[in-house]
Amino acid sequence: MIDELDCRGLGCPAPVLQVRNILIKEAPDSITVLVDNEAAVQNVSRFLEHQNFQVTTEIEGTAFRVIGRREDGVGTSGSISSAPVVKESRGVKKIMVLITSIHMGHGDDGLGDMLMFNFIKTLKEMGPDLWRVAFVNSGVSFTVEGSEAVPILKELAGEGVQILACGACLVYLHLMDKLQVGEVSNMLDIVTSMQLADTVVTI
Amino acid sequence: MANETIRLTQTVKGAGCAAKLAPGVLDKALCGLDLPVDPNLLVGLERADDAGVYRVSDDLALVQTLDFFPPMVDDPYSFGQIAAANALSDIYAMGGVPKTAMNIVAFPAKTMDISILRTIIEGGLDKIREAGVVLVGGHTVEDSELKYGLSVTGYIHPDRILTKKNLQSGDILILTKPVGTGVIATAIKAGLADQVVTDKVTLAMTTLNRDAALVMENFPVHACTDITGFGFLGHLAEMVVGSGQGVRISAADVPLYPEALEWAAMGLIPAGAYNNRNFRGALVDFGANVSQRVQDLLFDPQTSGGLLIAVAAAEAERLVIALKAKGIDAAAIVGEVISEPFERIIVE
Repeated sequence: MIDELDCRGLGCPAPVLQVRNILIKEAPDSITVLVDNEAAVQNVSRFLEHQNFQVTTEIEGTAFRVIGRREDGVGTSGSISSAPVVKESRGVKKIMVLITSIHMGHGDDGLGDMLMFNFIKTLKEMGPDLWRVAFVNSGVSFTVEGSEAVPILKELAGEGVQILACGACLVYLHLMDKLQVGEVSNMLDIVTSMQLADTVVTI
Repeated sequence: MANETIRLTQTVKGAGCAAKLAPGVLDKALCGLDLPVDPNLLVGLERADDAGVYRVSDDLALVQTLDFFPPMVDDPYSFGQIAAANALSDIYAMGGVPKTAMNIVAFPAKTMDISILRTIIEGGLDKIREAGVVLVGGHTVEDSELKYGLSVTGYIHPDRILTKKNLQSGDILILTKPVGTGVIATAIKAGLADQVVTDKVTLAMTTLNRDAALVMENFPVHACTDITGFGFLGHLAEMVVGSGQGVRISAADVPLYPEALEWAAMGLIPAGAYNNRNFRGALVDFGANVSQRVQDLLFDPQTSGGLLIAVAAAEAERLVIALKAKGIDAAAIVGEVISEPFERIIVE
């Protein structure tokens, strides 16, 4: 079944947000979005492709129908037009690294600290495959003022790696006003990232 | 009752999204108009430069510009600062010194508390003062949507006007602020941008281009423009068309906000970016390694963006160092002017 969402008459970024809400709430394998301007066609297509949907577009009078199907999902009925499929080929894997502590492994904490810092420093060797690094629990302390990891993470961010710092953790540890790198994130972002990533590495 | 704060970006249709009339459409309105002629008009409408220049005497000319738009951030004071910095920027991009300013205001008095307008104007005044400019007046109309900006007049020496149209083969191109404010403004409007990103981009948008302009005065700069609504490539295209030169841009060297890269991939791209691409895309050849999201950001309409400076190659490194020494950390060499291919932009 195709969910059809009517976003005609809406200015950007509303269509993308509506599609996003449906994906979060219902996680459909396919979705059809009606829009009435070229920018919305492009934006909704980019968003769906970003979420690993295969996207086709049909023109219907003054409106456009943007159809997305999960690439790993089962195909739907044969009513999809033969419009060219636009797909951004990344050619790289999406690796997400979840850092849950200031120490790496269990044992001597001094050794654990050293290992973790070294781990963060070496992350860049993953190259373009490194997609997101999320910090939770005491791990958020790497993203705040005074941490030697801050310049390293800033460099990663400059390369396009997304740095996520758990907002609840920053609040709990009274570090929110000291955040130096990355964006304040929430559990939904982190769970969605895990779902979208090709590989999740938890330390 | 909760102390509700109005989110300015929710009160308008186009923030970063659609504020500027599409460039092709504007051309249709303006082409073929019978314009008054005056030998003292050194830079006028037909040149389509950052600001107009009118010669008063052999060593003095007036440089004039005007800019206003709907809010792209939620905080009224920041909006005032950004709108003022953006308007002043055109004077700096011409190599001029701003002297006087007038407020331009459209205000929805029926739906918005007048204290908000006061705060916006205070923000604007803050930047006007910083620029050493005096406010001489203004004009306010009631409108359904909030808009604010300035008309600015400055001084410039008639022989030292920095136009867009003087690229020379071998020149190096330098950009002074990161690109991506349109996408970030869209994310702000969508409620997806957190305070850290909002603060970072607000700081960049409220930063005057004055220091960059002061630094470049001492270098052999051949052409300059500021990056605003037409986006990095749109404004670059204005420099290239009619120059007889081409340019090669290294996409990886163009400073970008990393958050904007992610949101661009998500489709939070203002309609203006597509307008810019439709208008100028035919001039641009993208290499296979330039991802879709980077291409989108290079067309992203900017608010109060940086200066794009063409400088003689031998002095380029020194200019970047001098800009950084002035605190302009994002300053970077982004490309070079080449004689072939003729009036095209290669992005690799």
